[in-house]
Amino acid sequence: MQELVPHTTAIRPSPFSSLRARYFSTPLNGAVTLVCATVALWLLWSAFDWAVLHAVFGTGQREACLAAEGACWSVVSSRWRIVLFGLYPFEEQWRSGLACLVMGAVIALSCAPWFWNARRLPLLWVTGFATFYLLMRGGFFGLPVVTEQNWGGLSLTLFIFAAVCILGMPLAICFALLRRSKLPWIARTMALVIDTIRSLPLLSIMFTFAIVLPFVLPGWLTGDKLYRVIVGYALFFACYQAEIIRGGIQALPAGQEEAAMALGLGYWHRVGYIVLPQAFKNALPPTINQVVITFKETSLVTIIGFFDVMASGRAASGTAEWNFAVIEIYVFVALIFFVFVFSLSRYGAYLERRLDVGRR
Amino acid sequence: MKILTGLLLTGTALATPVFADVAADSRLNTVLDRGTLMCSGHNGSFLGFAEVDDKGNWKGVDIDLCRALAAGLFGTSEGHLEIVPVSWAQRWPALQSGDIDVVIKVSGWTQSRDTELNLSFSRPYFIGAFQAMSPASLGAESIADLDGGSMCAAAGTSTERALATYLESNGIQAEVLTFENGDELRNAYFEGRCDGYVEWAPSLAAARVDAPDGAEAHTILPDVIDLEAEGIIVPETDPDWLDVQNWMISSLWFAEANGITSENVDEIKANPTSSAIEKFLGVTPGYGERLGLSDDWAYNMIKEVGNFAEIYDRNIGAGSPYNLPRGVNALYSDGGVFFPMIID
Repeated sequence: MQELVPHTTAIRPSPFSSLRARYFSTPLNGAVTLVCATVALWLLWSAFDWAVLHAVFGTGQREACLAAEGACWSVVSSRWRIVLFGLYPFEEQWRSGLACLVMGAVIALSCAPWFWNARRLPLLWVTGFATFYLLMRGGFFGLPVVTEQNWGGLSLTLFIFAAVCILGMPLAICFALLRRSKLPWIARTMALVIDTIRSLPLLSIMFTFAIVLPFVLPGWLTGDKLYRVIVGYALFFACYQAEIIRGGIQALPAGQEEAAMALGLGYWHRVGYIVLPQAFKNALPPTINQVVITFKETSLVTIIGFFDVMASGRAASGTAEWNFAVIEIYVFVALIFFVFVFSLSRYGAYLERRLDVGRR
Repeated sequence: MKILTGLLLTGTALATPVFADVAADSRLNTVLDRGTLMCSGHNGSFLGFAEVDDKGNWKGVDIDLCRALAAGLFGTSEGHLEIVPVSWAQRWPALQSGDIDVVIKVSGWTQSRDTELNLSFSRPYFIGAFQAMSPASLGAESIADLDGGSMCAAAGTSTERALATYLESNGIQAEVLTFENGDELRNAYFEGRCDGYVEWAPSLAAARVDAPDGAEAHTILPDVIDLEAEGIIVPETDPDWLDVQNWMISSLWFAEANGITSENVDEIKANPTSSAIEKFLGVTPGYGERLGLSDDWAYNMIKEVGNFAEIYDRNIGAGSPYNLPRGVNALYSDGGVFFPMIID
């Protein structure tokens, strides 16, 4: 007679029983689940109803929009060029679009591990940035010059973001190293500078660089308003990022640097091969955080009269025909920000997995 | 007296060479040398005064005045005008630092701006009334009828202050709700959160056109809470540059008063009906030279943007979706407050 073997699979809970165990274990839990699910479904349904079922699509459907109850996506299809390109001359907007693509490609490429190399990465960024600038500015091969005054929309936002990161990151490394200098007066001065800038609001720094500096600096040093703001913003970014990097450096066991010294490595080798790579690995989550914040805060430049993606969004709805469709434009701008910020943070999560930050 | 006349004559003789009477450091010379006028735009839009069309081109009353100025200075605004987007907070510093040459940005003439900020205002080109809009169903015919109700206004603006003063001095009891953002304010009114919506008349007209329940469901009450005179602004130390602004506005009114439009300006130039018009259009010399401009500057201006009525109708008047009546902004002959200065 064969012995009965207990059937193991029977113990595994069926999907239904796990659902019951997790969400309906007691009458109270069941009620809470039901209420929350109803509210969530109702919210989703209303959003879907507004955004799709009762929405008006197609270009120039102003009359239909005024009559409709749902969203008016017609404003986006009629005015999307203003949101993306701002005041860039209409016939030349392909250049602005192409420049955005180039910038996007550079950002995407620099995410690939093959480019993580002290020679390839700077080369990629410098080439990408130069292409972006030349395309936007023009003035060669018969492309008409478009001055920075007329740059706008998404390409301006990307330009400011990229320029701040390119300038700010090396500056941040310098600041962090200076702050850790063995000479007290250098370390203290740097600490004072960093803390001073960190205790000022970004808006006031931008305002100072855009508006106050021209009164103070000699004319040849003033430069275009856009570049002054970028320099100010990069300084602000560098101060925060320097503290993040310093945190990453201080998390390293002292033995790492001492061992490098014992091996006879010079200062730059120690910093470049031992300290910074590990510090960056430690500081990766807050660095991604800082980059995301930097991207989002570019919209502060509207205050000093730049036509970034937020301002051009307002210009897109700010006309007699479309003044009622403000929400739709804001949703569109929010989507643009979402696409960028969400990819940035997902990329950060991928990096953390890859570098195994959690375990070390 | 003879000495005085003599002095004046010598003065005139010295001033005869073109541009000679314009101060060397005047913004006028800077602009003419540079070959472009940098005029104030917006970071976003201001309905009817500075908007962006589907192709990203600026339009509006303020923008047309910028175009008129550029056309007067250079013969045409094409290639000679840059609209620099500036925010509200930035307009004065941008003017002082030279980022822009002139502020044409629906800016009210107030005492503190005129004195403490060292700005010079041209004659007003637009009188903006603060008025109230109310749902027609309430049957209100004046603000006094809203006694005991609530009013919505933009927070921290001159509108809010003017409304408080008005309510106080007229003994009207009303709750004032304020909103930071113009869109929020408008939505609050259309959602029925207040009985009166207090705003600048052109904005009220714009909101009424787009009312979700139709324009007829809302009435703009005739009471004027306060008036704001919008002028063109230049730095205080530059009378020559200010003269150009004043005479530009006066020219637009002069053309309107004499029926000169962008359509018929060539005909009238060929057969001027009076010596003043002859001078105005540059047929006989003097009108531009005294300002340091070419004598046909007013002709170029009218040819490009038209007279004041054309600018108004195209952007906020009958020819636009806002359909705002001229009202107090008409010429004196039509019941308004504007009049051209004398051309001698």
